[in-house]
Amino acid sequence: MKRSKRFEKLEQMPINKDGFSYEWEEVGLITMESRFDPKPSIKVENGVIVEMDGIKREDFDSLDKFIADYGIKVENAEKAMAMDSLEIARMLVDINVPREEITEICMSCTAAKLAEIVSHLNVVEMMMAQMKMRARKTPANQAHATNLDDNPVLIAADAAEEGARGFAEVETTCALARYAPFNAIALMIGGQAGRAGVLNQCSMEEATELELGMRGFTSYAETLSVYGTEQVLIDGGDTAYSKAFLASAYASRGIKIRYTSGTGSEVLMGDAEGKSALYLEIRCLMLTKACGVQGIQNGSINAIPLMAALPNGFRAITAENLIASMLNIEVAAGNDTAFTHSDFRRGAKLVMTMMPGTDYISSGYGGIPNLDNVFAGSNEDCDDYDDYYTLQRDMQVDGGLNPIKEETAIEVRNKAARAMQAVFEGLGLPEITDEEVEAATYAYCYKDMPARNKVEDMKAATEMMEKGTTVIDIIKILHEAGFEDVAENLMNQMKQRVIGDYLHTSAVFDENYNVISAVNDRNDYMGPGTGYRISEDRWNVLKEKFSALKPQEI
Amino acid sequence: MLEIKELGVSQPGTDAKEIIIAVSPAFGTGLKQSITDVPLEEILKELCAGIEEEGMNYRFIKVYNSTDLGIIASQGSKLAGSGICVAMQSRGTTVIHQKDMVPLDNLELFPQSPLIELDMYRTIGKNTAKYGKGENPEPVEILNDYMVPSKFLIKSTLMHFKEGGMANRDMAPIDLEVTF
Repeated sequence: MKRSKRFEKLEQMPINKDGFSYEWEEVGLITMESRFDPKPSIKVENGVIVEMDGIKREDFDSLDKFIADYGIKVENAEKAMAMDSLEIARMLVDINVPREEITEICMSCTAAKLAEIVSHLNVVEMMMAQMKMRARKTPANQAHATNLDDNPVLIAADAAEEGARGFAEVETTCALARYAPFNAIALMIGGQAGRAGVLNQCSMEEATELELGMRGFTSYAETLSVYGTEQVLIDGGDTAYSKAFLASAYASRGIKIRYTSGTGSEVLMGDAEGKSALYLEIRCLMLTKACGVQGIQNGSINAIPLMAALPNGFRAITAENLIASMLNIEVAAGNDTAFTHSDFRRGAKLVMTMMPGTDYISSGYGGIPNLDNVFAGSNEDCDDYDDYYTLQRDMQVDGGLNPIKEETAIEVRNKAARAMQAVFEGLGLPEITDEEVEAATYAYCYKDMPARNKVEDMKAATEMMEKGTTVIDIIKILHEAGFEDVAENLMNQMKQRVIGDYLHTSAVFDENYNVISAVNDRNDYMGPGTGYRISEDRWNVLKEKFSALKPQEI
Repeated sequence: MLEIKELGVSQPGTDAKEIIIAVSPAFGTGLKQSITDVPLEEILKELCAGIEEEGMNYRFIKVYNSTDLGIIASQGSKLAGSGICVAMQSRGTTVIHQKDMVPLDNLELFPQSPLIELDMYRTIGKNTAKYGKGENPEPVEILNDYMVPSKFLIKSTLMHFKEGGMANRDMAPIDLEVTF
């Protein structure tokens, strides 16, 4: 065939470097609304669910049983299940129906019922519903801070810049697992040097992650994965009970947590029981609820290249974020994994959560270049900041970030790096040189940093853990080294763990360590003039574009 | 042309120079090409040449009771006379494993199969053999491209289904006669 020059050009476009596939319902390779998904049903006898979505209690697997016993409000279940799904779908977009009325109904529904409700919504209705249903009124955002060399000085500087840019949470992980204690400390110190109140976590293997939290090196945890089929949960070495115990371990130390799940993970692991990705994800959300966990990170996460390869992928992902909110749990909404070569497409994906706002619009946004992202690349990175700010400015939408001047970034990065230098010296860890502090202050990525002796660092990190070092040692050192404000911020963070208010749903801190959560910042959206509205002060921040013309001066 | 003949249930090897090459359930039968459409015999040719160049021997086995590369490799290393196994899924994902390690640990792992070129398989073979000889070689450089999943995750999932469809949880590893 003689080729059309336009088709030849189209073939070369970034979008056509992505992978695409048709559906295969029988194995569960379908985003939502599969012919093989269970139909909604419930039977309650003496306050016990004896049938759920067509399965009798004696045929429940361990996940069904856990969800039936702890994840559904039984008192109201038969009434909620008897309601027309279309009617509930309409309530979701009806400005006259308050959020609480809908969460009450949804918390009494089965997975198949919730799937049926959202199947009536198109994506604009889902976004509209999300604006009303998210738990916290004020939207926020989360950032990644990692680098390929696990350079702790650079992590601290990056976290500080992210704090200054307005991220409510920062998250790190390691290329080499033995670096975990250093990365966690770096993120913690850097975050507080950037802005008081930033929450910080280090995503590691579960036992390590818990230990870091208990030492006070992290203030929340998120990498507690749940899956929607019993087999995949078991393959991951878990049961519903083991996950619930882990959640309790964190709660006992006053540490905020959320679980992680996402559409497509089960089919990716090869065991979707022939159910759609969304149906299985709803089971994850109900399991989260059943474990008494306040929040979820979802939005397909690592499986998004798979979901995006299938028809209806973005809609299913928007639905899963929404259902988390319908169940009154905090949602950290994904947008954290590179899934497309197309800037057009990744921007479109982002605005589906940015426009309505979620508890965290990304989880997280790469505050570092994607080449340094040890989680695999994110959907957004530090090169996208000005695009993001401009979208906020274009649409008068609050995406949780604020523009900063270059000198501010330099200042907080330098402060974080110097604080790290002092802490490493105080703890007797391998020296952080002035050259490293300078490099981290101005760096783009890991390549701009002088190489550290990794063997020595990892040995020192292990010894530090064996010695029993905690955040209190670090607070003392910071205070004595003249970083009183960073020390005080960290002390405040520890006090909050004793107070415990930030364990409430969707909690973040402002810069004075006041809790902002679904309890005291309840989302009361009921149409125009209600819910989250951008204040004049906030708009003055959001519309800032330092390079813009000042017309009166021309 | 790749031909695979199943012999019998694999027994632990006694030859200290023996490396096990363990493959996944659909390897060479259900799936004959890697994720980038490279015929699997070309990959095996390089892998075997690498092992031979270091003066070691090899035996092929197929693991049917798992599609998880770590589990496949772990069973292979326990059967290897040298205690070293190089394991491969049909899509080309490869790991080097040693018998005293827990299944999900490894000596070297090459997770992004679309990035592994043929000459890399030869180096992987050489390194496997060196571990078998008790040496501690410089690891093969791992390539990483965060855009790989956006193109290949769907295909890798489909290939994984194929592996799963040919798996059998109750079967012990089988010795293979492989000709190419």
